[in-house]
Amino acid sequence: MIQLTDISKNFGRYQALKHINLDIPSGELVALLGPSGSGKTSLLRIIAGLEAADEGVIHFEEQATNDYGQQVGFVFQHYALFKHMTVFENVAYGLKVKKRKERLPKQKIREKVQELLQLVRLEEFADRYPSQLSGGQRQRVALARTLAVEPKILLLDEPFGALDAKVRKELRRWLRRLHDEVSVTTIFVTHDQEEALDVADRIVVLNEGVVVQEGTPDEVYHHPNSPFVYNFLGDVNLFKGRLERGKLHQGLCEWEISGDLERQSEAAVGFVRPHDLLITRDLTVKDSVPAWITYIQAFGKSVKIELKRQDSDEYLEAELSREQFNELQLQKKELVYIKPNQLHVFTPDDYSI
Amino acid sequence: MAIGTLAVQRKVSLSEPLWVRILLISIALIFLVLFLFFPLLIIFTQAFDKGWAVYLASISDPDALAAIRLTILVAAITVPLNAIFGVAAAWSITKFRFKGKNILITLIDLPFAVSPVIAGLVFVLLFGGQGLFGEWLFQNDMKIIFAVPGIILATMFITFPFVARELIPIMQSQGSSEEEASVLLGASGWKTFVHVTLPNIKWGLLYGIILCNARAIGEFGAVSVVSGHIRGLTNTLPLHIEILYNEYQFTASFAVASLMSVAAIVTLILKNFFEWKMNNGIGESV
Repeated sequence: MIQLTDISKNFGRYQALKHINLDIPSGELVALLGPSGSGKTSLLRIIAGLEAADEGVIHFEEQATNDYGQQVGFVFQHYALFKHMTVFENVAYGLKVKKRKERLPKQKIREKVQELLQLVRLEEFADRYPSQLSGGQRQRVALARTLAVEPKILLLDEPFGALDAKVRKELRRWLRRLHDEVSVTTIFVTHDQEEALDVADRIVVLNEGVVVQEGTPDEVYHHPNSPFVYNFLGDVNLFKGRLERGKLHQGLCEWEISGDLERQSEAAVGFVRPHDLLITRDLTVKDSVPAWITYIQAFGKSVKIELKRQDSDEYLEAELSREQFNELQLQKKELVYIKPNQLHVFTPDDYSI
Repeated sequence: MAIGTLAVQRKVSLSEPLWVRILLISIALIFLVLFLFFPLLIIFTQAFDKGWAVYLASISDPDALAAIRLTILVAAITVPLNAIFGVAAAWSITKFRFKGKNILITLIDLPFAVSPVIAGLVFVLLFGGQGLFGEWLFQNDMKIIFAVPGIILATMFITFPFVARELIPIMQSQGSSEEEASVLLGASGWKTFVHVTLPNIKWGLLYGIILCNARAIGEFGAVSVVSGHIRGLTNTLPLHIEILYNEYQFTASFAVASLMSVAAIVTLILKNFFEWKMNNGIGESV
């Protein structure tokens, strides 16, 4: 268990972190998710002990500590491999620099490094230099080097940020499996919501130095507590209107909403995910809005459709499965009727979070 | 078709006509020969003008040997000290955040901006007989000006920036994440410096040291002001050459000058080698 209490950090006048309180249970894989400048990397560096917090305390495993020792392992965004050392020497580094009393004998170090290289599937690359490796391989060397000192907590700063899309997907699955295998508490920083939703047990959403929401991927994705989280975790369509008696009113339309039915507001905004937008040719569907199809992106598993509302000229984005799309046979420049299936309504009060 | 024409046009506009190229290359070559190669040649022809015997006699003259010894002594003291200072300054500037960093960077450049003669005068004003500490030094029977300590101080001042200037951009571009990684893997500050930082800056450091050394050997202005030109005692090689020349001992002065020229050529070769190593190292990391 890592317990962060009231952590604040300033860089000059800029307040990077504002009173962060966070509990991270042992053995979990946690994502710190946020846009750039949200303070996620600063928070990670503070947990690592690379920066000092201006205020607040961090407790590791029920005991207050300022002595980080080697219980924290850190993987840098650009790996920070020692470029003049081979892969083997990089991985062995943490074992070799130990004080003589604690150091393993040479043969033991060799065995352990071989074992780690096997774990990250780089046995054949032991004698290469970092410059002779691909990005994904460097990333794995960095991981092996960190795991060599058997950290109790593993911290990763944008671990897949510098890799191309295909390698990134492969490597994050691999990280998930690795985490389950070595079961070390892992915290990683990312700005990619897909990555966080795909890999993490828990997601902590940060914005402007504040924890906005934390929970399982399911919780933050399906029950975002603020317009920011809703926006950040995926594409959205906005429906502005009046909130009354559990319905969002816009012109002549009224749509059912989920959540608290008691709220009233003159200036509410309904958030709809593209896949929750119903498209139909049937004029008689109640509470539907006419819209022109302006663009169809039809490759891949799902079909993305861009629409322009006839009444307000606002653009909307819908997502259909290929089956639905084939059934409807939609064409560009066609007039259709759309209706939000799932509305998540936020009132101006929510924006102050 | 259109693309083809465009490419041809661009090629024509990028390469100069033959006569322009020949002219530019000739100008560069003539300048090189006239102002660099020719003088160097003169030094050696003049040095051997009266044969090997005179040459050897000139450089084995007791005063000449004393000048060589003093020059080596000055370089042997100032270069290591400035190397340590350079690494410390570059380290603190690139790895720490603190106020007044820009002032420190500007101060390091001061010796480049100030004329060496003025630098020498400052030391005279500080430690000379009429200087700020002059009386105290006299009472305590210590001599700095017109003595070896003054020469060392002046040389230190002049060669201050070389190593730091060389290392700061290298260390800035490398950042400190490798050092952070090392510390988080459990290495002490010293082990991090030896195993991580030093290998990364090795060639740049040697490059700075070789430049620093060349300047320490060759410095004339500042040393001339503080030395007092006492033969066999406070004459460095450049000062010795000047004295010989002023006494119309041309062959002897060129003979000693040829020694310094050899040192310069060795410096150039080493400098190029380190530069090449450094660029290779940077290329590897990308």
